[in-house]
Amino acid sequence: MDGKILVITSGKGGVGKTTATSSIGAALAMQGNRVAVIDMDIGLRNLDVIMGLENRIVFNIVDVVNNRCKISQAAIKDRRIDNLFLIPASQSDNKDVLTTKGVKRVAKMLKKEFDYIIMDSPAGIERGFENSVVSADEAIVICTPDVSAVRDADRVIGLLYSKSITPKLLINRIEPARVAKGEMLSHEDVLDVLSIELAGLVPLDEYVLTASNMGLPLVLQKESKAGLAFTRIARRLNGETDLPIEVPTHKTGMWNTISKKFGFTK
Amino acid sequence: MNNRNDKTNTETSNSVKLKGSGNGFKLTLDPSMPEDSIKGELSVLFENLKHLAQNAKVVIDTDGVKGYDHVIENIKSYLTKKFKVGQISTYIPEQTIEQKTDSSKPWMFHRSDVLMLKGRIRSGQKIESKKHIIIAGDVNPGAEISAGGDVIILGKLKGKVHAGLPDNENAIIFALEFNPTQIQISGITAVGGDETPGNKAEFACVDKNKIIVQDYLKANPFAKIPWPEAM
Repeated sequence: MDGKILVITSGKGGVGKTTATSSIGAALAMQGNRVAVIDMDIGLRNLDVIMGLENRIVFNIVDVVNNRCKISQAAIKDRRIDNLFLIPASQSDNKDVLTTKGVKRVAKMLKKEFDYIIMDSPAGIERGFENSVVSADEAIVICTPDVSAVRDADRVIGLLYSKSITPKLLINRIEPARVAKGEMLSHEDVLDVLSIELAGLVPLDEYVLTASNMGLPLVLQKESKAGLAFTRIARRLNGETDLPIEVPTHKTGMWNTISKKFGFTK
Repeated sequence: MNNRNDKTNTETSNSVKLKGSGNGFKLTLDPSMPEDSIKGELSVLFENLKHLAQNAKVVIDTDGVKGYDHVIENIKSYLTKKFKVGQISTYIPEQTIEQKTDSSKPWMFHRSDVLMLKGRIRSGQKIESKKHIIIAGDVNPGAEISAGGDVIILGKLKGKVHAGLPDNENAIIFALEFNPTQIQISGITAVGGDETPGNKAEFACVDKNKIIVQDYLKANPFAKIPWPEAM
């Protein structure tokens, strides 16, 4: 059976596309799937750094699309997680070296070899975005709970619909404490504007920065709330559709658990 | 019939009149007149036309006089033989269509001037029409709507709306939740406020060269129209 191509996109930069790509990719691989994560951000590659595989890059996606190497040569195997492969972007080219035709051809080959192909789309809605979504089966739009990210996500959702892809929404960097104080948009506010199916909610987590800087997979950090959230998202993507979406809450502790049981707090 | 004498210059008497119409001729005649005198007048008229009569389209209008079908048939064959006229038909008055039009229900015969859309209008999408626009759904921030007439949004309005373009000051903008970023009616612009709207339907209209926003149910602008009009 052919694999699925999942594109992770957002429109706005810096909302956590690359982190989400590496985490969901790692989580899907840990659940026993053969996963390829592909960095489509030609010229500004990051995914390899976050996954800690930068020093092993020989070939990249541009070489694959332009027939300079085979997929197996460009795919870097992750040493910590089985079945996880990275196809990095080229750092020296720009986004115009890829054509949608070439990407389509490579996507077809990738589908034969992997269960999930996760594409990390660059920010923006230009050529790089077009190349990333051209052969996508599914899309996840990442959005943070701020007004500009919601605006951009809305635009991207419109563009994806026009390419007949129905996207799902991942709301990243939720700060439950600030939501409770009313300083931040809640996920309901975001959903009210975007009105698409929710893929998952990810809280703000200080582990993300340290894990990214050290090149460690977030989903292997047992204490990381974001890592757990990404694992649940991956499980839902992998067929456990009835796994409920966990809403990040800011209160922990015995008394809150008890009051929650009695229905005093939500 | 005398009153029509001064209207055309090709007529010879009261009974037969010839008029160019469209790509042919319209022949108005009174079939109750003696056939020979009609033919005589016709020959004068068509002689004047010379080659123009050949293969021409002729429509015969009896001006409401009925019951002389044989006379008409004779005239038809006479014209075809003598002047090689192309096609001859009898004029059918448009009364049948007019009779159906009931002026008390104008909407029954009104071609729609409304563009109605269902669904959410997202950031970056632009809806343009010279007609009225009705959106059954929300208009997100960053979306744009511009209409020649009214804009009616059955949902939340958070985007940008231009109504009454270019110069229809009577246009209104209506939304069930009125919170636009910017609105424009016939070139007059207003920016959306920060106030959170209550749960009431509001609309914007032009009053003394300014845009004002009112509670729809309190102002009820359309209720002032005494009789239903088609939009």
